[in-house]
Amino acid sequence: MSQTPVSINFGAYSEHVPANIPAAVQQATGRFLGNRQARVAEMPQWEALRQAASDIRLHTLMHLDAYLEKLAAQVTAAGGQVHWAADAAAARQTVLEIARQHNVRQAVKVKSMATEEIGLNHALQEAGIEVLETDLGEFIIQLAGTGPSHIIVPAVHLTKEEIAELFRQKLGVDAPADPIKLTEIARATLRQKFLAADMGISGANFLVAETGTLITVTNEGNGRMCTTLPDLHVAVVGIDKVVPDWESLTVLLKLLARSATGQKLSTYTSFITGPRRAEGEFGPKEFHLILLDNGRSRVLQDPLGRQALKCIRCGCCLNVCPVYKNVGGFAYGWFISGPVGSIFSPQILGVGAAGQLPFASSLCGACAEVCPVKIPIPDILLHLRRRVVEGDAFGGPSAPATIRLGAWLGTLAFGVPWLYRLGTRLLPGLTAILRRGEWIPALPPPANRWTKVRPFPAFAARFRQWWGKRPLRGGKP
Amino acid sequence: MTTNPILDNIRRSLGRTAGAPLADRPPIVAARTPGSQAAEIALLIEEIGKLSGTARQMTRAEIPAALQALVAEQDVHRAALWRTAGLESLGIAAALQALGVEVVPPNADKHLLASCDLGVTEADFALPETGTLGLLSTPEKPRAVSLLPRVHLALVSPAALRADLLQVFAEARQHDYLILITGPSRTADIELTVTLGVHGPKALYAWVVSG
Repeated sequence: MSQTPVSINFGAYSEHVPANIPAAVQQATGRFLGNRQARVAEMPQWEALRQAASDIRLHTLMHLDAYLEKLAAQVTAAGGQVHWAADAAAARQTVLEIARQHNVRQAVKVKSMATEEIGLNHALQEAGIEVLETDLGEFIIQLAGTGPSHIIVPAVHLTKEEIAELFRQKLGVDAPADPIKLTEIARATLRQKFLAADMGISGANFLVAETGTLITVTNEGNGRMCTTLPDLHVAVVGIDKVVPDWESLTVLLKLLARSATGQKLSTYTSFITGPRRAEGEFGPKEFHLILLDNGRSRVLQDPLGRQALKCIRCGCCLNVCPVYKNVGGFAYGWFISGPVGSIFSPQILGVGAAGQLPFASSLCGACAEVCPVKIPIPDILLHLRRRVVEGDAFGGPSAPATIRLGAWLGTLAFGVPWLYRLGTRLLPGLTAILRRGEWIPALPPPANRWTKVRPFPAFAARFRQWWGKRPLRGGKP
Repeated sequence: MTTNPILDNIRRSLGRTAGAPLADRPPIVAARTPGSQAAEIALLIEEIGKLSGTARQMTRAEIPAALQALVAEQDVHRAALWRTAGLESLGIAAALQALGVEVVPPNADKHLLASCDLGVTEADFALPETGTLGLLSTPEKPRAVSLLPRVHLALVSPAALRADLLQVFAEARQHDYLILITGPSRTADIELTVTLGVHGPKALYAWVVSG
């Protein structure tokens, strides 16, 4: 899953999902949700936190230019270097450039959605640089050569037996099918890599504008390793990750882990401001921050669609989604899956490439109820469905003339009472020739697109009659 | 005026002009109200315990015996210690050496630190609600000591207690590094089986020292 997809065929991707994927995904999502419910129940201020988080995220997006300028100035003042990347290719190019300048041969990486988005691993490997995923789940799927099935537990679809076999083949070690032993093997293997790597690559959960601070959250400690041990740290971060100040951060951090896994806080939260400043200290000598746009600035012009950029990547909407839980992460065709993937991918890639995704939903609304930053996901899904039909252009209606004519006729028929009454009298007669009992088995084109699949109910048009003659309850109107 | 095309695109999308004024940031949610110091310490210990950490309260006099038990339990031969006034006054280095443990300086080479069985630090902040320890980083108290050794022992003074992240951040924002540690390193990436110590320390000890 390293390249930007040209077309996402959700229908095809979700057709032959192996049975173990929904089973494993549902076990993970069930546990995360159960833990989350317990956390929410013990916090009376939960709804206030969600509202504050939503307000802060939207406020930041509405002033994104100012906060990014502030951020860039503060990172520079702290001794870091800021690079602006308009798209995925520019971001990849910048990372490769930095790696070349430092003669990098081995890079270690923290799980990061932005680097997945730009397909960084592939580009580094092509340039002859070894790049190693260090989150245990990401490490496993990198060995397996597949994509993530869940945002938090990317290798949840693999059994311990499959992972043991993978370790035997790829690492050449005798690996028993035991999670604790397998984790031990991964620890020993990756520890050597951490100590030897010349570049650490990360994303960020947040960037604080007022001080130029980068925040990463992990449970394993791999984020700390990658940003502490190599002499060079390169972070690729979407421009939507900025927050105004440390006060804002309190709100978002209180929501993030609770929503994601039901932890109160993740095990490690690092706050890094620039490279190391003192001799004898750890941390990178050089810190580069690559700010990735890749379509986000364009998404901002859509007043409803821009709310997708409030996302803090907790994965909670995946955990509640009945569609996601049955197809898993692969079906969504890009680095981001589930309900938020269905509103993010079409806006970044265009509805031409990812137009199936907004339809991959029952619109049940569970995602909006749990979202910690209150993204109106079902509203955006509907909005994007309209854009799929009308095109991505903003401004005037761009529906085909036949659709507009049909809509106009419909408005006329339902909006003028005498015309409606006339229609209800004429239609049963007009359709009598097509009628077979209670059903119309075939309609002439273009309406035959319905009847090819299922019969059409015969026009009864008795509602007004029935309404006028209906027995009144209790004898009163 | 900027010539940054990304910022220009953002402004075009939002209908803003360069240098347009910032509206006030929306309000945040009020900080948590702390309990009594005793209650806060009890809560901290309880929460760290829930995370499979080992937390307890002890007096200065109890430290040598506790260290002896820890060294035996975790089979400690080599340790790295922060060079802080607090740890020095508690006599941790001397006590470890008396137990036959080799003590290496905190800013030792990363390979040497990675070979340590124990890293000893002193929490700058402690958050009872979440069972979290907050550590700043300087050459005398570098970040790698709480990361590379197999076991992490953090001494916690009651003065480090903070009610909420808000108080921690008010102080930490001026520093170039902060790490919040909530339990030992963990993963559930293989069949959702919780496993400790995947990359960071496998065991976390937090001793609240009072009196």
